Amino acid sequence: MNEFDVIVIGGGITGAGTARDCALRGLKVLLVERFDMSTGATGRNHGLLHSGARYAVTDRESAAECIAENKILRKIAPHCIDPTGGLFLTLPDDDLNYQGTFVEACKGAGIDAEIIDPREALAMEPSANREMIGAVKVPDASVDPFRLCASNLLDAKLHGATILLYTEVTGFIMEGSRVLGVKTLNHKTGEEGSYYAKITVNAAGIWGMSVMEKAGITVGMFPSKGALLIFAHRVNRMVLNRCRKPANADILVPGGTVSIIGTTSTRVPLEECNNPQVTPDEVNLLIGEGVKLSPTLAETRILRAFAGVRPLVSSDNDPSGRSISRGAVCLDHASRDGMEGLVTITGGKLTTYRLMAEMATDMVCRKLGMHVRCQTAWTPLPGAEGHSFKETADTIWRTPANKPEEPDIYGDALVCECENISVGELEAAIKHLGAGSLVDLRRRTRMGMGTCQGELCGCRAARILAREGLGDKALSDLRSFMAERWKGIYPIAWGDALREAEYTQWVYKHVLGI
Amino acid sequence: MTFQEYTSSVHNFEECMKCTICTAYCPVVPVNPDYPGPKQAGPDGERLRLSDPLFFNRALKYCLNCKRCEVVCPSGVKVGDLIQEARLRFDNSKPKLRDRILASTDFMGSMARPFAPIVNAVTGMGIAKAVMDGVLAVDKHRTFPKYSSSSFEKWLRKQESKQGSYPRQVAYFHGCYVEYNNPQQGKDLVKVLNALGVGVQLLEGEKCCGVAAISNRLEKQACKNAQANLEAIGKAVAQGLTVVNLSSSCTFAIRDEYPSILKLDNSAVKDSVVLATRYIWQLLESGTVELRFKKDLKPLRVVYHTPCHLQKLGWSMFSKELLKLIPNIELIPLEQNCCGIAGTYGFKKENYETSMAIGEKLFEQIRKANPDIVATDCETCRWQIEMGTGYPVRHPVSLFADALEDPLA
Amino acid sequence: MRFDTIIIGGGLAGLTAGIRLQEEGRRTAIVSSGQSALHFFSGSFESLKDCPEAEELFDRAGVRLHNLPGSRRLLPGGAFREAVLSLGDVSLLPGEGPIGKKALIVSFNGYHDFFPELLAGALEKDGTPSIQGIVEMEELAALRKSPTEMRSVNIARVLDKCPDKFVQKVKELLADGVDTVILPQVFGLDGDEVPRAISEGLAPLKVIFVGTLPPSVPGIRTQNMLRRRYERLGGTFIIGDSVVSGAVHEGIVSSVASHNLDTYRLFADNFILCSGSFFSKGLHSSPTAIEEPVFGLDVEFPEDRSLWYEADFFEPQPYMGIGVKADKDLHPSIGGEKVTNLYVAGAILGASKDGKYGTGAGKAIKSALAAANKILSL
Repeated sequence: MNEFDVIVIGGGITGAGTARDCALRGLKVLLVERFDMSTGATGRNHGLLHSGARYAVTDRESAAECIAENKILRKIAPHCIDPTGGLFLTLPDDDLNYQGTFVEACKGAGIDAEIIDPREALAMEPSANREMIGAVKVPDASVDPFRLCASNLLDAKLHGATILLYTEVTGFIMEGSRVLGVKTLNHKTGEEGSYYAKITVNAAGIWGMSVMEKAGITVGMFPSKGALLIFAHRVNRMVLNRCRKPANADILVPGGTVSIIGTTSTRVPLEECNNPQVTPDEVNLLIGEGVKLSPTLAETRILRAFAGVRPLVSSDNDPSGRSISRGAVCLDHASRDGMEGLVTITGGKLTTYRLMAEMATDMVCRKLGMHVRCQTAWTPLPGAEGHSFKETADTIWRTPANKPEEPDIYGDALVCECENISVGELEAAIKHLGAGSLVDLRRRTRMGMGTCQGELCGCRAARILAREGLGDKALSDLRSFMAERWKGIYPIAWGDALREAEYTQWVYKHVLGI
Repeated sequence: MTFQEYTSSVHNFEECMKCTICTAYCPVVPVNPDYPGPKQAGPDGERLRLSDPLFFNRALKYCLNCKRCEVVCPSGVKVGDLIQEARLRFDNSKPKLRDRILASTDFMGSMARPFAPIVNAVTGMGIAKAVMDGVLAVDKHRTFPKYSSSSFEKWLRKQESKQGSYPRQVAYFHGCYVEYNNPQQGKDLVKVLNALGVGVQLLEGEKCCGVAAISNRLEKQACKNAQANLEAIGKAVAQGLTVVNLSSSCTFAIRDEYPSILKLDNSAVKDSVVLATRYIWQLLESGTVELRFKKDLKPLRVVYHTPCHLQKLGWSMFSKELLKLIPNIELIPLEQNCCGIAGTYGFKKENYETSMAIGEKLFEQIRKANPDIVATDCETCRWQIEMGTGYPVRHPVSLFADALEDPLA
Repeated sequence: MRFDTIIIGGGLAGLTAGIRLQEEGRRTAIVSSGQSALHFFSGSFESLKDCPEAEELFDRAGVRLHNLPGSRRLLPGGAFREAVLSLGDVSLLPGEGPIGKKALIVSFNGYHDFFPELLAGALEKDGTPSIQGIVEMEELAALRKSPTEMRSVNIARVLDKCPDKFVQKVKELLADGVDTVILPQVFGLDGDEVPRAISEGLAPLKVIFVGTLPPSVPGIRTQNMLRRRYERLGGTFIIGDSVVSGAVHEGIVSSVASHNLDTYRLFADNFILCSGSFFSKGLHSSPTAIEEPVFGLDVEFPEDRSLWYEADFFEPQPYMGIGVKADKDLHPSIGGEKVTNLYVAGAILGASKDGKYGTGAGKAIKSALAAANKILSL
């Protein structure tokens, strides 16, 4: 029961992808995640499917990886990707000469970059700054990281993997210089557990640092905080970038019903990684730079501010971390540290998660002496055409295109009116994706991510969870859900956001008495 | 850049706080379960449609465009405009022949007038009604408004020199209803204005205001009419004239829907286009004119219905205050409820039941009050109330005209 | 147009002041930009235990209020709170002890704005076991057709027409030992006759009405009854229009301009500003300032915006206490200069710190009456 071929630590996109790859190659997999899926950097980024163009000049290797993976993901995960295309704008402040260097570098990395007339760019993207002096079109896209991560975990599970959420690794089971497995603590039940595997993969992102310390191994990481702002509606059709060396707040990504501007890059202490804060200065910077890309942002409601921490691998003394490679790093701790049975996969990007998973799984297989080819570059994920689970996945992730014709009078009732999430979708997420709390439901369905930030849907969904037998915890769960929503709102609490916050206070404290 | 400039949203739908008050006051929601409700159809839907046009829902056509949602919204969200705009932007289906006919009020009028008695007889006949019901899907319970064989425009042209002799002048946007169906109502206004020492001029090249074209998704036609009207109004305004109108829907369209839905700039003329009731009230308030009412006015029990678009304009107090000036009148303002017709909406077969069900609340109030007459500023409300209650309905200005002493006396 | 007093804001404070003035024969107008926060009213006037003047004024408008010292009320999330002056259909419960032997919590299929499961958990802790029941009526089926319209107001529209049938349906759900029936507040849009009839129809069972997600049926009813009373007294209620500016000279307001009336101004001897707080746009916040948008009245607020809020959602939020500065007679000031014929009332004053749980409904009534009485005393 407790023995596996491989244990993957971390339920972010890298861990999910690795678990899936291992499972597809016939390994018996256990994935342990101390909180919920996508709680770390996976759920705290732009949702940008890089074309690689951003790194073409400064980090050629990453750029090449990005474009290759970009093409693959469009095929295997179309239900997670919105093929928006992207533009790199040269603004009057920027050096137009950079455009040539940029396009050359893109071509060198295999990225289809095309210089277009600014007027044409404006017709394609009316929200772009009219003052632009140059524009390059690239195959950027937007990706729903929550859905992508869930799809990977689901497919891993469908291929026999065991997924333990809210289960933290408290230590390694070791024999001499060999890791035999992990000791765990289930945060929901308080139960401790021991699990054994031939190989353990650390895919815990920035937290991998402290995980590895438990095995006495040091992995030098660079926790790089990036702050972002979510705007209340989809302002732009295409991903907007600045055509210059990567800097702060120079990417605006349309994702679903919103647009996201980011990011910043600041080294933060490891303690802050669990709860990265967005400062008023960062908010000011993001808006100030954002309006240069798209002036209408100045007049658009802001929904929330959030930050994530990039798991960069330290190299030199770069104080911001901007020049550290975004490339993936796969470490065999047997050769590196003399510790058998332990592998780390880190660095990299959301866009290259599949490649990272492939690298890690290749190493696992090599160490197990197996020769099985990786299939993830062409095997569709659940929710994509051609996957046996597609129909069920459609009940979790409804779109106007895949919605069944026959109305379901009880299931269609909307819980989250802003994001159009129905009772049926929540029930499916509880049933198929193991959601056990409101925050879990949010990560799986987008419930509570819209304009009112959980004000209408929080209590409704709490009741649906209670109906599924989560009775007594429903109230405290609701309280923590609302508290979590507020954390992203108060950094931008003025104007309409403050009005909404006041209304939410009335409803929750005075009308509902929660 | 000062940060303070960057504070609030110009994207009006983002001001929605999700309070759902609009839904509580929408007249369609309680009677038509196929309608998604103003919040979902308006601001929520707008966000979704911007993310994926497939979110557009055809059921938006059940919106009456009464704008009650906008009147009650505590955030000032233009819910009704959002819905009408979405229908123009996202519904790619071709408007039906029936809708084109219903929307072409001036074309229909000019075609029908030479044959008014015949047209009136035919459209009133059982067989013709059955054809309209079956082929055109115009509900058989509806009778087309009667066409008048005389033209208001011709009548007023004949007295150009007389009108020119008054010390003050206004331009009159008389609209299709006065031109084709009820010239008398226009004559009533002229009587009142003349009594106040104001001469009435026609606009040069006035067209239908386009409100019916908007709600039937005939955007091009609506824009063409609107541009012609803005030009005609612009000429009058350039001469220093105020442009008055009796119909609350025409006035509302020119002032508010031209910019908000048709995206036409009317800022140069907007403040000069007013309802005649407001103009008359302001003139009386200025204290420079005097009115003489008939001596022997009988007691008259009048209920006043505020049309939805007048409620939206926020000017019903002028109509009510004018009516109160009439000696021996007992004025009972009704609680504002939609009558359910919403222009051409109630004529459509698929909306007939909804339309009458919406009106029921208003009809009941009227029946309960049992007045001598119903006063209201909108011609389509008038048809609906007459049909729903059997009580006679007139424009406040007409009642005012009746009460004024005959100028020759 | 000229009035004795113009009231800006048609919510609880505006209507209370308006009715008071009209009852004394003053000619007033209320300008209200949309419907008010009464639409999310819990039914209880927080921080107000009793207020005979208000109780009588509301009674004359047909709005029945009650309170019992030492009693409690049950909120939809399952919490008990000390009772305050409340609408007739807010059930007052004994100060301690279980609310009944066994409760039946009634809801409807497809209705998600009421939370029987949350209530059941809380009641269990309080010593009252409960069962849940669903009332099915064909009249309600149509509401479910739209995924968003199974809301309290729409249900009330249906049930107000057939309370007897509803009572019958509830009786069919009764089980052994049930002595208490808990119902969502989805009754009586036009008056409290329906909730009363339901209580009577289910007697001797004890009926407890519990609130729902907004819009609030008792709140809408209260708004409409107060507005009707005001209009019947001859008041001019202008809805859907916003006062955008006022002409102030040497501390006196002479007239105001509104969005809809553009160049046409409204004149009055006195003005009462009860335009609400942030939600209602009575106060406007930017990243650097909090302002009163109509007259530019003085507002006291910390410059550092991180002091406007508490990071914990469930702590009292300082921004809710921010409001227009007013003297003891409720006169505000502009640049330190008192405006002598303008009064401020209601949420625009900011919620009081002691009313930690209050929506300020009690404060709205008290300040509105104080302003109206002051004007009447001039």
